[in-house]
Amino acid sequence: MIYVSQAKDGKAMPIVLIVLALAVLIGALALLKGDDYSKLDDFPATAFLEGPADYMGNEYVMRAQIDSQLQWERGTGRLVAVKPEMASSRLPVFIPEGTGQNVQSGQRYEMYIRIEEGGLIYVEDLRKY
Amino acid sequence: MWKTCANTSIVLLLSSLAASGQGSYTPSHSQYSPAPAPATAAASAPTGGMFESNTFQQMANSVFDPSSDSMDFQEGSYQWKGRTFNLTNQRAFRARFERFLLDSPSADAVQYAALMAEIMNRLSVGTDSSDDTILEAWQLLFQASEFEEDGGNSTIVANQVFNAWRIYKETRGTALSYKELEDIRRNQQEVVANRDRMLRRLQEQRDSGGTHRESKDKPSESSSEMPTEAAFRALDLAETEAKIVQLEAQNAATGIQAKLQFQSQIVTFVMQRRFQHALVLASFYQQLFKGSQQKLEVGTEELKSFLPNTDLTFTVDTLSFMSREALNDVRNGVDAVQAAYEEGRRLLALERVQETFFLGEHLSDLDRISVEQRRTFLDIYRAMLEAQELADAKDYKGVGVAVTELAAMADDFPSKRVLASIETAMSMSDMAVFAASQYRNRGLIDQARDELRNAVEIWPSNPSIREFQSETTRLATANSQGEQIFDDLYAREDRRGIYERRMELGFALAEDPERKPMLLDIVDQVAQMDLLIAQAKELTKQGESFAAWELLESARAIDSDDAPMNRARAELAPRVARFIGYVDRGDQYAKSANYASALTAYLVAQDIYPASRTCRIGIKQMSQALMASLLAQED
Repeated sequence: MIYVSQAKDGKAMPIVLIVLALAVLIGALALLKGDDYSKLDDFPATAFLEGPADYMGNEYVMRAQIDSQLQWERGTGRLVAVKPEMASSRLPVFIPEGTGQNVQSGQRYEMYIRIEEGGLIYVEDLRKY
Repeated sequence: MWKTCANTSIVLLLSSLAASGQGSYTPSHSQYSPAPAPATAAASAPTGGMFESNTFQQMANSVFDPSSDSMDFQEGSYQWKGRTFNLTNQRAFRARFERFLLDSPSADAVQYAALMAEIMNRLSVGTDSSDDTILEAWQLLFQASEFEEDGGNSTIVANQVFNAWRIYKETRGTALSYKELEDIRRNQQEVVANRDRMLRRLQEQRDSGGTHRESKDKPSESSSEMPTEAAFRALDLAETEAKIVQLEAQNAATGIQAKLQFQSQIVTFVMQRRFQHALVLASFYQQLFKGSQQKLEVGTEELKSFLPNTDLTFTVDTLSFMSREALNDVRNGVDAVQAAYEEGRRLLALERVQETFFLGEHLSDLDRISVEQRRTFLDIYRAMLEAQELADAKDYKGVGVAVTELAAMADDFPSKRVLASIETAMSMSDMAVFAASQYRNRGLIDQARDELRNAVEIWPSNPSIREFQSETTRLATANSQGEQIFDDLYAREDRRGIYERRMELGFALAEDPERKPMLLDIVDQVAQMDLLIAQAKELTKQGESFAAWELLESARAIDSDDAPMNRARAELAPRVARFIGYVDRGDQYAKSANYASALTAYLVAQDIYPASRTCRIGIKQMSQALMASLLAQED
């Protein structure tokens, strides 16, 4: 029995190590990605309304509910009106093509955003919550 | 809502065009020949105006006449239960009636009423009718005559009674003389008869004693030649007979005279509506003259005119009954006045008090009408007379004010009927002025003059007539300067100024192919702005401030410098400050091609007023513009 296990251990060890390494790698990637959202500040939606130009170049994380789609352009993306948490008014955000999400009214997303020129809220990444 | 607004705007736009047509659509005669008469002109022919005016006058005469229906001042008569009193003239009656309303009941009047009641009570059939009672009643007449209310009529009654008594006394003296004459006549008749019998007997004795035929004839010859004693006695008898007849005639004449004087005075009292005195005098008459003397011998002609529809034989009892009926009627009349007054039917009460006053002017029952009631009646009476004068002058506004005052004083005054009639008359006059304007604008001067005359006939003080006149004057003077004025205003983009002068400019530019379309466009634009401003005000009243603001925004798009529109915006702005703050911000961002920020501002504004048309359009435009700019960046 020991023999068999020893004989088999010789072949099994590399496989186990590979599996472990992959797990560590996936975990590390996951940790790295989680850090992108967690290190960002929450988006100051109410203050943003008073002067969008003041926030250009900044990156935030915003939790919001999809209200309606304002415009869609194939190959470019879509303009969506969202209702941020803790805010009384809606805001327009641009979700570029290729985010891999079916955005629909009523869905809640955590968004990684960046304020572009002209006060455009550009969604870098988003995920449901 | 927009559908409704659109419909309303079309209606108002059409009405505005119709108004502007007074100047700008003025046709030439060749274009409109034969010119169709305006609808209003057809409706207000001159005869129609006269009819309307007369109808109002008839209504006013009936409503504002404070007199009772039983009074006919044209005939000068007052009808009371088939009896016709002479009313004298209206002015004299009004003076007496107003004096009564201004007067106050006095304590003397109460005492006088009690005294007259006492006199009538003593003379009534039911009480002791001894000579002493009648004498006491007669003496009370002198007390009654001392009161001002009596007017000395009790003295007349007393004098009549005294006169009758004196005649009665004289008749008694005459009766004694008559009796003596009767005795003398009887003696003379006996003497004459005896003498004749004795002579016959002597003649018979001579004839039987063989005397000659000659001697038989002698006495007769001697008796024919000289008066005998028998002849003297017969002459005495004839004189006595004549004296008796004369005395009888004298007695009869004296009695008739007294009776006639009495009857005449009773009739006079009734005709003067001195019913108490008529009753007292009739009572004395019945005491002094026997039952067979009750038929009236005098005043029948007057009574026939007083009671035209009767074939009855007039007696003193007839007059007594009539007087008593009048007294009762006055008492009931005052009761009716009090009841109507308490129920607030003061117009009805005023009519009844007039009737009662005329019938019982000299009766104390009227003193039951208090000073306060009299003043109220006087106020209503004067107000009605004043309203009637205003109606005669066709001062409808004045009549309206008077009617309002009358309605406040008397609940039963038919104010609604009068006001409706006034409204109709005023509308007819206004329509005639409008028709005159239409005719004037078409150059039909004769028809315009007819309509204007019609308007003046219906309502002389109609303010529209003055406006028509000043407008006509203005049109005539503006005709020569129209082009210059229009060019100046147009250069300053003063649309409102052009709109306000559209009448005279329409006249002046009617044949100008270049300026006329420009004028029409501006009139349309300003009319549309006015419509939007009016709708905005209405929405503001309903609490729809954001919707009102949107309408004003539409008006602003036509002419941002229009003063009434900016005034309306300024009044409304505080109520929608936050909304218009974001909209303005959106507009500003849009102008600087800052589409994302503009889109943000419009979205926030739409959250404040979700039905906002401005925001909806802004969001759509900014979304498209933003997407286009992103596409351009990718390229």
